[in-house]
Amino acid sequence: MIYLKDITKVYEINKNNKVVALQNINLDIDEGELVVLRGASGSGKSTILSLIASLSKPTSGEVIVDEKRISKLPDSFASKYRQENIGFIFQKYNLIPTLSVTENILLPLIPLNPDEKVAKKKLDEVMARFDISHKASQLVKSLSGGEQQRVAIARANINNPKIIIADEPTANLDEKLSLNFIEILKQMKELGKTIVVATHDPLFFNLDFVDKEIKIHKGKLL
Amino acid sequence: MLLTPEILTILILDTLFVFFASISFILSIKISLKWDLNSTSQAQYKLERESFLASTIIKYIFMLKIPLFLFFIFTLNKLAIVIPGAMCGAGVVNATVYGNYLLVLKVLNLYIFASWLTLHLNDIKQENQPYTKLKFTLFIFVFFLLMSEIYIEWLMFNAIDINKIVDCCGTLYSSGANSYISEFFKIDTSVLLTIFYGTFSFIIASYLLKNRYTFSILNLVFMLISIITLIIFFGIYIYELPTHHCPFCLLQKDYYYIGYFLYTFLYLGTFYGISSLFNQQNMKKSLFFNTLYMVIVSCYPIFYYLKNGVFL
Repeated sequence: MIYLKDITKVYEINKNNKVVALQNINLDIDEGELVVLRGASGSGKSTILSLIASLSKPTSGEVIVDEKRISKLPDSFASKYRQENIGFIFQKYNLIPTLSVTENILLPLIPLNPDEKVAKKKLDEVMARFDISHKASQLVKSLSGGEQQRVAIARANINNPKIIIADEPTANLDEKLSLNFIEILKQMKELGKTIVVATHDPLFFNLDFVDKEIKIHKGKLL
Repeated sequence: MLLTPEILTILILDTLFVFFASISFILSIKISLKWDLNSTSQAQYKLERESFLASTIIKYIFMLKIPLFLFFIFTLNKLAIVIPGAMCGAGVVNATVYGNYLLVLKVLNLYIFASWLTLHLNDIKQENQPYTKLKFTLFIFVFFLLMSEIYIEWLMFNAIDINKIVDCCGTLYSSGANSYISEFFKIDTSVLLTIFYGTFSFIIASYLLKNRYTFSILNLVFMLISIITLIIFFGIYIYELPTHHCPFCLLQKDYYYIGYFLYTFLYLGTFYGISSLFNQQNMKKSLFFNTLYMVIVSCYPIFYYLKNGVFL
């Protein structure tokens, strides 16, 4: 389903300062798999996620998702691809603090302009699934870290994307909440989602429901 | 050089266009030589980023250049005040040897710029960007037209001599004038009107038959015959003067700036019409603007007749 072929990514800060984030990476992720990318900060994990999400383009090589060459997509098509296929869970949740839980979760639906009933049905479904219905009308800034993350997960799922991308999802959580998140990941995998998690949290290592655990060091897969 | 605020504005904008168009020109050469969308090399990804930059620059230049044509015409009309003998833009155009060439080149460029924008729009609508190489190759040629226009524009403004008496539009647009225009005055008006309304009828017919090739060619004919009939026939009803045929005076306040509307409708109608060769959806827009033009110009003689009981 997701295929990274001979990917090299170089960030050019200026002419004399180039950072090689990835070097000739080849990676194959099948549909419905849960893949954990392990590595220290700066190893290139987030770069892989941004390439899969078509947030950035490789310096060379190719990213193919569902037989579509997404690294070749013009920006407008890349946005459409993300909208239809990708759900993001960020380290710092990236919620809008002045909006309510409901409003935050509904944000990805706005560009699609769906029927109100359809939007309501989707909203109720994800809020129930990720156990956040009881906080629906509250502003997200008044929620705890764990609750905020459940809002972020619900938001990532509202469009029913095929692929969920999580970048250091437990970096701001204590162990108990991290374990809760891992349970949620398991639920999402059971729903058939393809999930790619970038983390250096040891709680993710050697989990029985993880299909692939890939170590990255200085832009190379080990 | 005569430096009015309008000329200064045009010259400053021209300088910016030269600078930015030159960047796009260099990038266009690179892209047209090396573009290979199938390649996953570093060079190709760099070209893809550069193509986005170049096409954005070109898009904004052309999007500005098209309405700036109206500003150019407005400037010519304003300059008429300071040039002895000139009553409107026509006198200013004829004040130097460059005016007529510049005007023809500007009109030609209007169609070419809009065609490039249409091609670009069709290109970015598709995932595989099928026209990228073509649009940048085309820009290499269009760049020279753009630079020629800017250069001739500079030459024209530089050559204007406010101490030299020029001919007014009444002399320039008459049967006695020593120009190509005077040849059209020899043609019978009824023949010209038959061609004008006949062409418009054929445009409607080809629209109904969905024949975009005929539609496109007829629009080219309609553009030419519209300008000729505006000068020879319709103009005199706008001015309500049987001897006044100027295509510039109708841009003035005295005639409620009707010329700006007429030329804009005619341009949009014929541009969409000609470009329907590549995009059938443009036929409807073309017919709408051409009909607007046809109705407005036709109203003038009709209302004149209703008011005075006689045709000029």
